[in-house]
Amino acid sequence: MKRLALMTFIVLAMASPASAQSPEDLANDISQKVMSPFCPGVTLHDCPSQSALDMRDRIEGYARSGMSEADIMDRLEDEYGAAIRAEPSSEGAGLVAWILPAMAALAGGALAVMVVRRWTDRGSRHLANDTDEPSPGESSTSERQRLDAELGQLRGEL
Amino acid sequence: MATTMSPIPSLAGLGRPSLLVALLFSLLAIAAFIAASRTGRRDLSEAGKRALYATFGFTALATISLITALLAHDFSLSYVTSYTSRSLSVPYTISSLWGGMEGSLLFWTTLLTAFSALAIAKAPARNSRLIGAAGAVLMGIAAFFLFMVAFPGNPFAQVTGDIPVDGNGLNPLLQSPGMVIHPPLLYTGFVGFSIPFAFAIGALFTKRLDDSWFTATRQWTLLAWTALSIGIVLGGAWAYTELGWGGYWAWDPVENASFMPWLTATAFLHSVVIQEKRRMLKVWNVTLIVLTYALAVFGTFLTRSGLLSSIHTFSEGPIGKFFLPFLGLLLVGGLGMVAYRLDALRSENRLDSLISRESAFIANNVLFVAAAFTVLWGTIYPIVAEVSSGIRLSVGPPFFNTIFTPIGLAIVGLTGIGPLISWRRMSKGAFWRVVKVPLVAGGITVVALALGGLSSPGALLSFGLCAFTATAIIGEFVRGGRAYRRRDNVGPLTALNRTITRNRRRYGGYIVHLGVLLVVIGFAGNAFKVERRADMAPGDTLDVASYRLTYEGVRTASTSEKDIFEATLTVSRGGDDLGTMRPQRNLHLAQGQWQSEVAIRTNPIEDLYVVVTGFDTDQSAVIRTFVNPLTWWIWAGAAVMLAGMLVIMSGRAPVTVTAAKRVPAKREPVVAR
Repeated sequence: MKRLALMTFIVLAMASPASAQSPEDLANDISQKVMSPFCPGVTLHDCPSQSALDMRDRIEGYARSGMSEADIMDRLEDEYGAAIRAEPSSEGAGLVAWILPAMAALAGGALAVMVVRRWTDRGSRHLANDTDEPSPGESSTSERQRLDAELGQLRGEL
Repeated sequence: MATTMSPIPSLAGLGRPSLLVALLFSLLAIAAFIAASRTGRRDLSEAGKRALYATFGFTALATISLITALLAHDFSLSYVTSYTSRSLSVPYTISSLWGGMEGSLLFWTTLLTAFSALAIAKAPARNSRLIGAAGAVLMGIAAFFLFMVAFPGNPFAQVTGDIPVDGNGLNPLLQSPGMVIHPPLLYTGFVGFSIPFAFAIGALFTKRLDDSWFTATRQWTLLAWTALSIGIVLGGAWAYTELGWGGYWAWDPVENASFMPWLTATAFLHSVVIQEKRRMLKVWNVTLIVLTYALAVFGTFLTRSGLLSSIHTFSEGPIGKFFLPFLGLLLVGGLGMVAYRLDALRSENRLDSLISRESAFIANNVLFVAAAFTVLWGTIYPIVAEVSSGIRLSVGPPFFNTIFTPIGLAIVGLTGIGPLISWRRMSKGAFWRVVKVPLVAGGITVVALALGGLSSPGALLSFGLCAFTATAIIGEFVRGGRAYRRRDNVGPLTALNRTITRNRRRYGGYIVHLGVLLVVIGFAGNAFKVERRADMAPGDTLDVASYRLTYEGVRTASTSEKDIFEATLTVSRGGDDLGTMRPQRNLHLAQGQWQSEVAIRTNPIEDLYVVVTGFDTDQSAVIRTFVNPLTWWIWAGAAVMLAGMLVIMSGRAPVTVTAAKRVPAKREPVVAR
């Protein structure tokens, strides 16, 4: 079991996607990272218009001329503005887009852990002590005493 | 173009008056239901019901009026002119009811009044206060939508000037069988959640915060979730087969709009089980259903307001200024009521241990809600950034994939852990004993695939987690079946049948989870997608993955609706002839719009997907091809999910803590763990 776990971990740690890319593959990759100026709301890759296909050809041309992915992205940003990037940048206003979901998830997780721990503590105490706090459907000592007293009172009235 | 007389007369004249009468009846129903909820008088509740049925009747009459106008080509109506033409086939003419903003709002309203009538009619008469409050909420929502279709979004508005001879026709992208079914399913999902929402608010108003609000609406929640799930998958299938970019999900705002309520509704379906079993998470459950419904309305607002540009937003209209206050009212009112009743919503039990199914469900809920928040935030952030700082930026698929993938994988892992842990508490030793076999299965899968040459860490992790979870779930069926075999001395198939049919909810849920795993396997296959594009003259070949495509030439044809240009490509692999594929590029005459019809050769291993994006006068064609591994499993997984939901819905209502005290439990064999 331990050996399998170790092997799984090593395999996952060593696994890496193939890195060598043809200009066409690089253009495909970039087209998935930029928004289409011709189809609002979708990436260049997913936009079926002829203008989008022409723009992809242009990107492939940049790749063939030896430009790196970062260079091509910068060039597209210069031409079309920051909104061409499908991914918000990791600085300024773009950073907020990344941070807030992470913070919300962490806060949600922390809150859940806190609530679960609090409930668990109470649950454990209840199980361990078997004190005044009743289980579902059971009555506590004080409730039983009150019930006895009220029944006695009722009998007296009758 | 030849004009033909329609055999169906247009009843458009009845449309708007029907809507105004329906609006009046909805207001009467609100008054009667509020009085019933305050006094508990059954006669007032009955009066409210009758007004509700009348609201439905007149709304349905308005819808029938619009359908007759569409079928009769009554181009005196602006809506009919905008979305139909004489050459449009009857099914697409009817589906143009939801092709535009005004018609789809009318369709929404009709579904809402129909579902409200059914839900209120079926609710137990003894709950007249709860029925009154829920009915008032439902009719309040209906009144809003009736106002919208009677005034700013009126589908019966007349054209200005001369009545045109023909209409503009339906967008060619919407002329697809998927688009005939997809919007009604999404709307059934969106509108279906109004029933549990209304009963939850009704329960908060009347302080009847026991199980009655969600047991009365359980089937509606399941129906809405199922319809939304299938609607989302059909939307993906439509994008895959119609849009021609080789994918099924683009994190488009409109796709996100349907996905957000699905995520919170999925969280609700799980957390409500804890309330049934342990009478806990009451605040959380009502909050979740309020959020789900608010997100469903937000989805409709996004789709129909034109707030966010999207290729799916085929229509834009002046309805945003009405929707936003309504949405605010739903959220503030709903969450305000939850805050007001906080004391009455306290949990009646506590967790016994951190290692318990309750904890797994809570973790599952945190992940689903985090996922919903991520999608919501990513969808609206471009607007937030522009309004707050004037900066224009985009939030597209790379953002969603980066954040959503780890959350999704964690949910897959929890799906496997959940069934293994018992309710209330489980010792660490017992936990490791039950988790050992699935862990070994997951580990073996990862190592075997890596040795087989798979190098993507994300895909390896996905497949490993799927193997872990599938082993855990299948183990549940094996244990259940074994117990029945021992007790009843029956064969394995009979035992499996008994396992499922005697606890449809639990095992139906497991079937849904197995379907989800198949969908995840399909998603993981996307990591190995190959794409090639080439400008091909007749006789040219294109190699993509292990396939070779040879372009043979173009064939042309014409119909009354379109000019068809069809490329013929022969496909071979390793010298073996695999047949011919015929993608098309068509010119839709009414709209003057070009549209590609893709050709797909599909099997469980991979899809060969071919689309032609343009032709030249010398018969050369621009061919775009994709090899999409494992995509077939997405559709298969959706079918399995549907089967699981049908199993769940065919079962009886769950036995809750309260009911369990009255009804003796049905004898089931003890499953050893």
